[in-house]
Amino acid sequence: MKKNQPIKVFRLSLFILFLSLFSVGSLFAQNTPYVIKGVVTDGRTNQPIPGVTIKVSNKVIETSSTASGSFELRASLPAGKYELTFNYLGYTQKTASVDLGSQSAVTLNVSLLEDLVRLNEIIVTGTSVATSRKTLGNAISTVGAKDFANSNANSIDQALSGKISGAQITQNSGNPAGGISVRLRGTSTVVGAADPLYIIDGVIVNNSSTELLDLGGYAQNRLVDINPADIESMEIIKGAAAAAIYGSRASNGVVQIFTKKGKEGKPQYNFSSTFKMSDVRKTLETNTYPFRFTNTIATDLSQVPVERYDFQDGIFRNAYGTENNLSVSGGGNGTQYFVSANYLFNQGIIDQSDFSRVGARARVDQRLNDWLKISAGMNYVLSSSHEIPNGGLNEAYGALTGFIFSNNFINPAANPNTGVYPSTSNAAVQRTNPLEAINRFDFQQRTSRFIGNFQATATPVKGLSINYVLGYDNSNQIGTGYIPVGNTTPSYNAGYSRRADKTSFLLNNDLNVSYQTKIADWLESTTGIGGTVQTEKIFQSGITATQLGLIGQTTNNGIAIPSEFRSDINVMGAFVQQTFGIKEKIYLTGAARYDVSSVFGTSNRGQFYPKVSASYILSNEKFWSSQLSNVLSSVKLRASYGQAGNLTAIGAYDRYSSYIPVNSAGLPSVYSPTLLGNAGIKPERQEEIEVGTDLSFFKGRLGVEFSYYKKEVKDLLLLANLTPSTGYSSQYINVGTMTNKGFEMMVRGVPVLTEKVKWDVIATYSKNKNVVDNIPGGVLTFAGGFGQVAAVNGSPLGAFYATYFARNADGSLLLTAGGLPQTEKVGRTGGQPSGATLKKVIGDPNPDWIGSLINEVSVGKFSFRAQLDGSFGADVFNFTRRVGDRDLYGGLKGYEEELKGQVPKGHSAAVFSIFENWIEDGSFVKMRELSVSYTLKPKFLKSGNMRVNLAGRNLFSIDKYSGYDPEVNAAGQSSAVRGFDFVEVPIPRQIILGFNVNF
Amino acid sequence: MKNIYKIKAGLLLSIMLVANSCKMDTVNLNAPTDADVLTTRAGIIGLSVGLRQYYSTNGIAASYFYPAVTGRELQGVATFTNVLELEAGGTQFPTANGSILTLWANMQKLMSMSEDIIANAGKISTLTGGTLSGVIAHAKLYKAIALGTLATSFEKSNINTDKNGKAVFVTRQAVLAEAIRLLNEAITELNVTPVSADFNTTVAGANFNLKDVIYAFNARYNLMAGNNTAAITNATAVNLNSKNQFGYSSVSVNPLWNTSSILKYYVPRAGFGLPTSLFEAGDLREAFYITTTGSGTTATRTLKGFAAEQLGSVPVYLPDEMKLIRAEAILRSNGSTTDALTLINQVRTQTTGDIFGVNAGLPAYSGAETKDALLLEVYRQRAAELYLTGQRVEDSRRFDRPGPPTNTTERNRNFYPYPDQERITNPNTPADPAI
Repeated sequence: MKKNQPIKVFRLSLFILFLSLFSVGSLFAQNTPYVIKGVVTDGRTNQPIPGVTIKVSNKVIETSSTASGSFELRASLPAGKYELTFNYLGYTQKTASVDLGSQSAVTLNVSLLEDLVRLNEIIVTGTSVATSRKTLGNAISTVGAKDFANSNANSIDQALSGKISGAQITQNSGNPAGGISVRLRGTSTVVGAADPLYIIDGVIVNNSSTELLDLGGYAQNRLVDINPADIESMEIIKGAAAAAIYGSRASNGVVQIFTKKGKEGKPQYNFSSTFKMSDVRKTLETNTYPFRFTNTIATDLSQVPVERYDFQDGIFRNAYGTENNLSVSGGGNGTQYFVSANYLFNQGIIDQSDFSRVGARARVDQRLNDWLKISAGMNYVLSSSHEIPNGGLNEAYGALTGFIFSNNFINPAANPNTGVYPSTSNAAVQRTNPLEAINRFDFQQRTSRFIGNFQATATPVKGLSINYVLGYDNSNQIGTGYIPVGNTTPSYNAGYSRRADKTSFLLNNDLNVSYQTKIADWLESTTGIGGTVQTEKIFQSGITATQLGLIGQTTNNGIAIPSEFRSDINVMGAFVQQTFGIKEKIYLTGAARYDVSSVFGTSNRGQFYPKVSASYILSNEKFWSSQLSNVLSSVKLRASYGQAGNLTAIGAYDRYSSYIPVNSAGLPSVYSPTLLGNAGIKPERQEEIEVGTDLSFFKGRLGVEFSYYKKEVKDLLLLANLTPSTGYSSQYINVGTMTNKGFEMMVRGVPVLTEKVKWDVIATYSKNKNVVDNIPGGVLTFAGGFGQVAAVNGSPLGAFYATYFARNADGSLLLTAGGLPQTEKVGRTGGQPSGATLKKVIGDPNPDWIGSLINEVSVGKFSFRAQLDGSFGADVFNFTRRVGDRDLYGGLKGYEEELKGQVPKGHSAAVFSIFENWIEDGSFVKMRELSVSYTLKPKFLKSGNMRVNLAGRNLFSIDKYSGYDPEVNAAGQSSAVRGFDFVEVPIPRQIILGFNVNF
Repeated sequence: MKNIYKIKAGLLLSIMLVANSCKMDTVNLNAPTDADVLTTRAGIIGLSVGLRQYYSTNGIAASYFYPAVTGRELQGVATFTNVLELEAGGTQFPTANGSILTLWANMQKLMSMSEDIIANAGKISTLTGGTLSGVIAHAKLYKAIALGTLATSFEKSNINTDKNGKAVFVTRQAVLAEAIRLLNEAITELNVTPVSADFNTTVAGANFNLKDVIYAFNARYNLMAGNNTAAITNATAVNLNSKNQFGYSSVSVNPLWNTSSILKYYVPRAGFGLPTSLFEAGDLREAFYITTTGSGTTATRTLKGFAAEQLGSVPVYLPDEMKLIRAEAILRSNGSTTDALTLINQVRTQTTGDIFGVNAGLPAYSGAETKDALLLEVYRQRAAELYLTGQRVEDSRRFDRPGPPTNTTERNRNFYPYPDQERITNPNTPADPAI
């Protein structure tokens, strides 16, 4: 109870603050009720624009335009001159002056111009007050609901793919809730999660990828609980700009997400429904040779006839799904509401797998008076999935795992009389029959999650804005797994049952105050201060039972081994930020932040992070002639420097040597852990320099954003392998360094723009080079890569570090006396390799560059959209083929050459241990999204409309990769192990038919 | 106006920061830390039990199985790299083999825990008398076991762990000498201050007579070191009716069962993996240790004996080992062949009464009664009686059985190379043995 005291004090003081704010409300009396009416239209098409936010500057009074573009703003204000801002994503903000005098009704019609290249957007994230992008000293990407409306993505991170520069977005698994990794400007941490910090309406949301069940390496990341249809817009800070506002957790960048808000007016309904069809884009070529060797003796080439089967036929299926969204929004008298409900059900292309998500969201904004507004939002989601294990980093009970380890001359079908599935191998150890894994095993996950937020915004005096956010994210995850007694798994023949739970509570309190003023005609000042208190409590438990009875599936049917973990992390911080705007062309920002985290020891807990940035709008100079501006309409140069940390990279208690308790035959005992504590461990620190420019040409028809950055992580946290003779295996140490250098470019162009036709082209290009250095011993292997993935001095993170071919001086393979390839070794004896086996960097999973090309054409009521995503120069470690091509398993085509006698018997066993043989070029260009939609305005919908669309996702891939999919990663969302293909489910090809009505 | 709000906001911030600062020290409720364990009585007692728990699970899971593949007691049948490499052995045995790293690291951990107890137990004021002497002797026993196990598989090793990662290596003779020194010290200390009842209740538990176990291991390591007299003395000092065994529970399961019934990486070879000339048909111990179904080339074998049950106990040592140690030491020191033969026959002809049920049921020895012939008989008895107790490779070397590189039928390595993980970070790691 004592621990709650500070929170109580904090809440009380906050309450007092609000009371005191109300108490001075009387100062704002003597008002006249005014009604400002008008219509907002598009300057090009003359069509009304619904959803434009109309706001009285420096007040919390705002409204939105209706479907017919009309608005009505009621405000009780003292007479005077006011400024109204008109804001809509994708359009240049417009400010209109209005004189409120004796007339209580004022009419104001406004036409907005599309901000075709988005250089005038208003940005909220990382700034004290909403600011035009022009003034920022750093690159910030924005993505609006329109940008992903037809993408049919399941989750926000999936929707982001290809839409912004400087981001590598990888779907690690093709399961229907497959995990996704987002890397903004490369990977900035090794031991922590490398994904950005996600903030939804001010709530820091849980995006963990907990493996409650061993599904082979695949795990959902919890962003999958968020329905993309509820999202209005996203702002993505890739670099140092995030430092001041989110310093402690911002080293991977920040994605700030804003959900849809209600608009004042009569209820607006929006309903959409889609039907999805998914199938596997490509299967592996299997061994169809009708003979097998009688035995494994190298000299005995005798063969026996066999019948071969393609197990994939029974594993993959055509999968179907549906998604329905309904939202209602509206408001009046200072109230705005938005409520939505969502149901998604999608089958996986692996038979019997599926994912469903049912959710509801509500958001209410209430204006209390003309300077104080509160809003509350809540989102409840229930996500459930039926899982089929695949991959197989630790366990071998998966379906595709069974397929790759099987001898495909065994018919996998169950015995028609007994129903018993055969082990799909004639070896001593059983191999999981994939059909049994699909039909008899039962793995499920469920997540019940509530995300709530409360916000209060006050603008008590001109220029001053106070914003408070309370964010809460609670999720309960339950994973259950069951393998019945008498099965074909290698280890769980006597049955297996597991139940694991994780309850997470995340709470954040943020108070931000900003003050904006004009010090002189030529000098604007914006001052921000803020503080945050965050807490994350996790309660996790798991029970695994083996030696099960015949029927019961729960863990009490066998010998159960429980485990439990509780964690408590607290973070708090404060910042101050100052921006000066000089003559509306030079903007200078400086900020300082101090953070404290309970994860680290007392002496290293507090961290200071500075930031500076500058932007110079060259085109605002007088010498910028109108002739020049016809071609090069606007030029902005920007530069920023900032430091950011990672205060939650390691676990709550990872700095201790935590002994392992176990009851030994009745006596309580502890033994020493593998992880040696390190009391002096400190947070890693990232320093980033960014320079760039934003250009717009031809009166805003072509925009170019370009940034170069260099990020250096110092005191890199590594889980170092200790010398075993220390008595310990590993320890967290601050030892390495890591740099990411690169540049990113985004080009938006509008080659055709007429009243009826608009053609948008958006291209992104991102190049990043990562290097790790100062690794103790020069090499540090990572878990999840079978010991073949490492940090190697001077190489990129996650380099494939393994054995390679012994070669002659001329580069040809140095074969054994038996004519087989062999691994390189330290020396040569009699011309043959001898001594210890050598390893080197044989591949790099990081692409040299990635890019996307989006074409959008709208012709009248039709619109077409195509998005190509490409990744070039990344290597993939094809473990799948390594296993399937080998004699012991031999289910893939590659083994045929040995059976046919084209290579010596034993060839496949020889190359099995030469890992260089299994590195492949994973470059690809994928047709990520392709859609066509038709909008119609039937009379019965009055001002509403209806849209029908047909879309495809991942329809084809142009690549030379021999496996399923060069994009997936068997190690899931691992920060270090990437590009590791081991029978992970490929990303399905999808065709989606949908319609959308709003009225 | 604006100043008031700035002040208010500032105040609020300070309240937030100051009031919450105490929450930064969160307590780990999941597990005790080194500070809890090494400075309290309960911690040292818990860690002492932990030594036995660790050795009886992780320790023997490594030291009984991996060398057993090398010494041909078991055949690796799983197609995992580690198993394939162990099964292949030879000069090409990779330094990256995961099993050997496990064996090495587990013994290092056992050593490190023992050292922590030896260094810290005396500092705890409430730990005194026979509890203190018991805890320290118990820790010395496990450190000696760690050293003896390392000396069984590696030419050289450290005799102390070093948290700085720069442990110094000495020859296996010196390692064995250190193990023996520790055991002798433990015996002396227990003679001065016998273990207390408290020690027996809180650390030893049932079926663990500390002094008998120390004598037994001292006999084993003296024999390995070639100290025949000391081997006989210690083996004789063991009370052969003292049943010392490791107990298990569902959270700490019998590792022999786990490896053989769950992991299934290895299966027993026919006739204890001995050459047919050394295996005696009718030896009841084969059926005790191994279940054989079918026959000839299609026979399948699974481990039985102490590996049969998930919660079944495992002997700390077998009493008949003491007889065989004495017989061997007598023979090696050119003592009475008759005395040696008597001891051998006691093991051979036992049909009932072994406290662990390991009865050979063979007729009395009828071969030549020369030293060499009897030594060979000791070897074959050890191979059968002490099946899968981590001693085969050591025995095979000591009895000069055919070995690699010329002959790999009885063992495919003499010693293991040092694990990469040690070499990468410890500059004192010696050169790997050729085979």
